[in-house]
Amino acid sequence: MRTIYNRFRIGLTPQRVLSVVFLIALGYLVIFPLFLMAKETFIVHPLERFQIPGSSIGDLTLSHWIRSFVSENSFTFFYRPLLNTLQIAFGLSFLALLIGGTLAWLVVRTDIPMKNIITNAAIIPYIMPSWTLALAWIALFKNERIGGDQGIFTALTGVSTPDWFAYGLFPITITLALHYFPFGFMLIGGALRNIDAQLEESAELLGASRMATLRRIVIPLVLPAIFSTFLLTFSRGLGTFGTPAFLGGPVREFVLSTSLYANLIGGRPGIGYLAALAMIVLGVLVLYMDHKIIGTRRSYVTISGKGARAGLVALGRWRWPIASLLMGSILAVIVVPLGALAIDTFMLRPGLYSWENFTWHYWIGEASLSVGLGTGEPGILRNPELMSALGNTMKLAVVVALITGILGVLVGYAIVRMRGSWVSQALDQLSFLPYLMPSIALGAIFLAMFAVPRWPFPSLHGTFTLLVIACVVSYLPYAVKAGVSAIRQIGPELEEAAIMTGASWWTRMHRVIIPIQKSTYFSGLLLPFISVTRELSLLILLVTPTAQLATTITLRYTDRGWYPYTNGMVLLLVVIVVTCTIMSRRLMGTNIAKGLGG
Amino acid sequence: MSIKKFIRKWVTTAMAVGLVSVSNSILAEDWAKIEANAKKEGALLVYSTTSRTAKAAKVFSAKHGIAVEVIRLKEQDLIQRAYQEAASGVQKVDMIVAEDWVAARELLANTGYFVNYVPPTARELFPKRHQNPLVLGYINRVFGYNTDKHSSGNPFKSVWDLTTDEFKGRVMIRDVAITGEHQNALTEWVRRSDELADAYQRRFGKPLVMTEANAGLEFIKRFLQNDPIIMTSDTKISKAVGAAGQENPPYGMFYVYSKHRDKALKDLRITDNRQVDPTLGYYYPIVLQLAAKAPHPNAAKMFMEYLGTIEGFAPWADSPGVYTPNPNQVPFEGDKPFSWWEKKMWYYDLDFAAANRGIVLDTWLKYAQR
Repeated sequence: MRTIYNRFRIGLTPQRVLSVVFLIALGYLVIFPLFLMAKETFIVHPLERFQIPGSSIGDLTLSHWIRSFVSENSFTFFYRPLLNTLQIAFGLSFLALLIGGTLAWLVVRTDIPMKNIITNAAIIPYIMPSWTLALAWIALFKNERIGGDQGIFTALTGVSTPDWFAYGLFPITITLALHYFPFGFMLIGGALRNIDAQLEESAELLGASRMATLRRIVIPLVLPAIFSTFLLTFSRGLGTFGTPAFLGGPVREFVLSTSLYANLIGGRPGIGYLAALAMIVLGVLVLYMDHKIIGTRRSYVTISGKGARAGLVALGRWRWPIASLLMGSILAVIVVPLGALAIDTFMLRPGLYSWENFTWHYWIGEASLSVGLGTGEPGILRNPELMSALGNTMKLAVVVALITGILGVLVGYAIVRMRGSWVSQALDQLSFLPYLMPSIALGAIFLAMFAVPRWPFPSLHGTFTLLVIACVVSYLPYAVKAGVSAIRQIGPELEEAAIMTGASWWTRMHRVIIPIQKSTYFSGLLLPFISVTRELSLLILLVTPTAQLATTITLRYTDRGWYPYTNGMVLLLVVIVVTCTIMSRRLMGTNIAKGLGG
Repeated sequence: MSIKKFIRKWVTTAMAVGLVSVSNSILAEDWAKIEANAKKEGALLVYSTTSRTAKAAKVFSAKHGIAVEVIRLKEQDLIQRAYQEAASGVQKVDMIVAEDWVAARELLANTGYFVNYVPPTARELFPKRHQNPLVLGYINRVFGYNTDKHSSGNPFKSVWDLTTDEFKGRVMIRDVAITGEHQNALTEWVRRSDELADAYQRRFGKPLVMTEANAGLEFIKRFLQNDPIIMTSDTKISKAVGAAGQENPPYGMFYVYSKHRDKALKDLRITDNRQVDPTLGYYYPIVLQLAAKAPHPNAAKMFMEYLGTIEGFAPWADSPGVYTPNPNQVPFEGDKPFSWWEKKMWYYDLDFAAANRGIVLDTWLKYAQR
């Protein structure tokens, strides 16, 4: 008896305890919602009963599955949107890799000037909400088809853009790629930076050509980063709703997320959740592929900061032209959309671009029913409602970032220290799963789950806590990626040495593990922080009356067409987030790239 | 008659009897007592699809000293949230200002989570048909065109014109798939298929040949095959249709008429078409409902009363296209009264809409995808 107990006690290492705790927690917060969602696809809901002969509410049914997958109209209802979705997801990932990879190579491996500026600027497209690029695209390239004012391109050149260029899958793919290429840039850049130059030098000594070195040494070492980028961008391509709805509608090209939304609105959650599940399954497939192909190889990647840096490729007389072209394109992607938003906040009468029409009214004006749009709302900066919503958003973002950050380290610790066991694998994959869930569906499920008291929680409905839980679950994947990559770089011998000196687990954590990788942990906080500031669909069903968020409160301005306010709020958020990112870089040496696990 | 049907019928009858007795008891209620209790209850929580509720609430609070918290939600989010909360027994909301009554009735009223309440002013002044559910106001959605291009008058006279070559790729509509009210409205086109088919005959002088089950669905199919432009918001539609300096402006279908309030401000050259056979568009209600377990029922009743008055409706009365059932309201300048619109536009049958909206949505989805 005693020996069993002792064995149990000895086996009770911190990582094991952590693993079990996290497995249970994640099962509860990730698998259970998934199960609830799946359950809904077999149930007859109030409005669905009319289309299912002889059914009543709450009955079990297979008809949602039949309709979506094997009925006469399955192709138009499901497979066609699925194909469009896949086309976008693949195109987007490919472009994001291409743009991000090229940029990363130029910055890391060549003698291109202005490296710091380019590195900083290249991350901003991700910080901006993705729909700003869609809006900018329409403003630039729209043609007669959607009427209204002329597109800027047509106005300048007199050439009318073709429909396929202005709307539909093509611009959806491009604008999303411009939004997500920073993933590729950061991850591939990180991987390139970590390649020990001695490897390449040896190859050179052995007479390998530059191409051969690239093919046999560089690419294999960067491959894990390429796959990570692919995984991250591909899954985002599956779930995005705003951009496809906005750019696809004019030429009637739809995707799975629009189908999810349509059926939720049509009162048919059974069919809607099937679309959501399909997205999740696709994401899981990619995740699985990633593990199959990279899983074993990833562990060989030796990250060492000590190796010599490879010699930089000299760009020669192309140095400046390439740098200017790069800076120009990056600036265009940032300045054009933000500038377009900004201009609208300074025009008293919308759409009338002249100096006489310039105003500060929408920023600092008094409430008025006669000036400008006559909204009766004070300007943004003196609008107590907007300012308190902005405050709530910041509070939520900070709390969520801190919690996900801490969890990220602990889960990462458990995953790395348990490496090789099924527990580690399960934790790794479970913690990534929320990344694959469309947030509209996740919000609805969390509402259903936590409105009732559910052990160990009381009813969390309408509480700030629920917002925090939803966001933590949703953004945990980022933090865990950062945590894993941080802990992986700390050899177990450091901890073993500490154990020898009798340090407790707690001491080891806060004296060894955490200080060594401080900047990586803080980097892990950045992405959740940024993401919270612009989250809408996850939180819209959960917001509390007393804690409205910046995104939820601007809804009411959007639907009255008061864009100066909406645009102004978006700009404020972008400015705040960029400032925080830069400050944290200065103060803590953080780097968003590390936050992605790069 | 099967037992199930018998029980259902019996239950319906019982509910009807119950309703009558409830409305009788409301008649006998003591408004002074409600007011007195309301002041004791304190802060009220309202979910609303329209942001103007918050404006009305501000004035109401100032006047009566009862704080009102308004959360603005999109129509389906509102229904979802109100439903989930009630279903899990945490109903903190006191009343809702809801749209898409077809869906809301299924999830919120038929379940007993929300009840209808008719406050004194509405009871006295509103025509009976606007009392259950209690209607805050009606919104109408119209067909519109650019007046610069069509200065001489209506470019189309029948809804079927929109399925002809002349309008190919030129008609804009908010995505039916994400607009519950559009789905409801189109069920009426199914229900009144014969009238729609007659309109076809009037327009083209020959009977409608259909491949779909009825003229309503046939319209949806032909309309979508005529390459319409699907948009995400009515604001964008009215702006696209009305912008100045266009050679070939698009036409708007089913956008809210109240967007015309921005005509001067945004220099929109837009007007609605008042000669479309067989309907000028459709109208739908904004509905007020009281939570069955409202924490502050009396305060909610007072706010509902307030919204039925001319003063309470003021935030909505500042534009065309919104109509209170209160007969004392003067129509917005240049707009027709609701009684006019009501005769020229189709509404929808709630039961028929609930039963057929899925079919409409499916037909839409079937042909919408290019």
